[in-house]
Amino acid sequence: MAHSAAAPAEQYNYDIVRKFTIMAMVWGVLGMSAGLYAASELAWPFLNFDIPQITFGRLRPVHTTLVIFGFGGCALFATSYYVVQRTCQARLPSNVLADFTFYGWNVGVLLGVLSYMAGFSQGKEYAEFEWPLDLAIVAVWVVYFYNFVSVIVRRSQPHIYVANWFYLAFILATAILHIFNNISVPVSLTKSYSMYAGVQDAMTQWWYGHNAVGFFLTAAFLGMMYYFVPKQAGRPVYSYRLSIIHFWALIFLYMWVGAHHLHWTALPDWVSTLSATFSVLLLLPSWGGMINGIMTLSGAWDKLRSDPIMLFLITSMSFYGMSTFEGPLMSLKSVNALSHYTDWTIGHVHSGALGWVALVSFGSFYHLFPRLYDTRIHSTKLIYVHFWLATVGIVLYITSMWVAGIGQGLMLRGFDDYGNLAYSFIETVEFLHKPYVWRAIGGAFFVAGILLMAYNLVMTALDARRERSKLEAKLAAKLART
Amino acid sequence: MFDWLSWFTRLDNSKIFSLLLFFGTFCGIVIYVFGSRRRGRRLESYKHIPFQDDEPADRHDAPAHKATDGDER
Amino acid sequence: MRHEHIEVNSGLMIALVLAVISIGGLVEIVPLYFINDTVEKVDGVRPYTPLELRGRDIYVREGCFLCHSQMIRPFRDEWLRYGHYSLAAESKYDHPFQWGSKRTGPDLARVGNKFSNQWHVQHLVKPTSVVPESIMPNYPWLLDTELDYTDVADRMKALRYTGVPYSLTQAEYEKNVKDFGKVVADQLDISQAKDNLMKQARTFNYDGLPDRVTEMEALVAYLQVLGTMVDFSKYDEGYFANFR
Repeated sequence: MAHSAAAPAEQYNYDIVRKFTIMAMVWGVLGMSAGLYAASELAWPFLNFDIPQITFGRLRPVHTTLVIFGFGGCALFATSYYVVQRTCQARLPSNVLADFTFYGWNVGVLLGVLSYMAGFSQGKEYAEFEWPLDLAIVAVWVVYFYNFVSVIVRRSQPHIYVANWFYLAFILATAILHIFNNISVPVSLTKSYSMYAGVQDAMTQWWYGHNAVGFFLTAAFLGMMYYFVPKQAGRPVYSYRLSIIHFWALIFLYMWVGAHHLHWTALPDWVSTLSATFSVLLLLPSWGGMINGIMTLSGAWDKLRSDPIMLFLITSMSFYGMSTFEGPLMSLKSVNALSHYTDWTIGHVHSGALGWVALVSFGSFYHLFPRLYDTRIHSTKLIYVHFWLATVGIVLYITSMWVAGIGQGLMLRGFDDYGNLAYSFIETVEFLHKPYVWRAIGGAFFVAGILLMAYNLVMTALDARRERSKLEAKLAAKLART
Repeated sequence: MFDWLSWFTRLDNSKIFSLLLFFGTFCGIVIYVFGSRRRGRRLESYKHIPFQDDEPADRHDAPAHKATDGDER
Repeated sequence: MRHEHIEVNSGLMIALVLAVISIGGLVEIVPLYFINDTVEKVDGVRPYTPLELRGRDIYVREGCFLCHSQMIRPFRDEWLRYGHYSLAAESKYDHPFQWGSKRTGPDLARVGNKFSNQWHVQHLVKPTSVVPESIMPNYPWLLDTELDYTDVADRMKALRYTGVPYSLTQAEYEKNVKDFGKVVADQLDISQAKDNLMKQARTFNYDGLPDRVTEMEALVAYLQVLGTMVDFSKYDEGYFANFR
């Protein structure tokens, strides 16, 4: 090797980061394509083709699992392993245990989506894995926790950097949520029944479901933001003190808000009210995080003109701010009466998932990938193209879902002059066709973007290999001459 | 045994209780964090941690095709 | 205490994070098990028969809940469209709950007895044949696939473990007779599960195929019981509001 002994690639375990980054891209492409296909099935139902394995009901969990646990999960494994090693200046304790989390997690995701297509599902959203896979995930998670904390314990730096607090909270919270929501009684290897029933099951599920958003898709990605935004901007985070306040407030408040998915249901009113109150309060720490991220760039706004990676990161935080404003709005009971059960919710999720989670991951990957391969990104121009494809895709997606959701909500509660219902349900379904087509087009833009990114990253890796072999050839030639 | 929990389910009680408890804690943290300039300076000093392990020459930011054009910068 | 103490001590940080994230869940979930008014006191709600249970399993397998809710909210339009708002009691034997979160299709909480068996079969095989504008997928394989009911007793046993009153012992059976009456108690007897399933299928012939027990049979049996267990004419307008 041509590097000096202190090269970070040897000081740290970069191999595991590379592997998880690649798998994040693989699951991202597959999961977003599955989402595009599922969206197209709603616009053009013939696409179900009477094949049980790909009907909407079975494909939808495939999409959500691939993007949340496949893409999101691998992105978090990759960045958390990278960030914790670099900010603690310590190496992961064991390559074998790191690899265990890699194979365990990815085989789990693969078996999970295959099992959904075969029809094995616990019937709870985002927790569809049947019990053997749930247990496997627990095993992987325990090792992940051990790996992560070991690096912190071995740190050569007295302080634990704020990004690691967020990752730590995410690991702990996910463990608690996963275990308690998935307690079930097995019938066979492929079938089990939830231990809870009815209203208690609903509350547990949405306590889990919303905190999958809160910790898996928010707290952990804030950890990503707290490292990659300052690094890419070349300046420290705006306010460390703000990060202390918004960290504790965020992790405390998030756990209360799940019940806003159950407004006006058979869930007792006091829980519903409590969750709505906390949902509104949650706006403050959310925006605290957004301000902290965006203001990191204060005094260096010109970077937005010259650096497309910065564009990804800053835009992701803007979408984060937007969707964390929309969320509290939708958690108000009066708004929720209209928005619940409609596509407004789907749009809201995607303004967070595409706008925030995916964009911040893309930005971080563009920063990370050349460093992992010790080279430069293949094409900056393609990053710009990707940015615009993604942004246009998101805007099309969420505006069509606003139209669909608010439109359907208003139609369903419409009355004629005699006090009868103005529309039958099926009339609202007909109305949804056009927004569904536009949503699919928006999704196609987004998928095109990630395909372009995959190409760019593959070319970067190939460039790196070519550079290295050239260097080695030169070295060999030099050695031959002496 | 768990009857005392029902006290919290009455919103008249739980609203005031949680307001005092949580808002009090929140104010405490805010005062602690922003209350003293010296403490503030100390806390802010930790934000440089990510930059402590920077490689001497970070060559990853410049895109490949630009660098081959010759060094404009 | 300085915040630095937390920042330099990973054990302390883990403990504090665990404490802070536990509060919300504990306050909102645990009382639901101890407050008696959470689930309304109402007659008629019973566990599913073996055939209905297998139908529900198929409902879960196909992910129906991703497009159909089973939770009617207390609004005028939903009252007119679907009927009385759903009670917590009506899903107290549902493991897992299937309230859903999205209505790409209509709510199904009270779909039972609103359409004939034949309508359901035709609709499930090809929805557009009865609702031309429908975007629901076809489910023709439900009619082609024989229902696997070999393990129905095991399924009931697992549910019994979660607290559903399916009976294994004589004492449990007698308690069920007292709570639900003899006809229902017989259906909840695990030792008779297969016979009961066959009997119900033969008597009602939900799938229209007299000599076969298909998955369609089970699913339609399940759909036809949804929302029909509570007789709302027996209760005052305001009775259920007391529990909210």
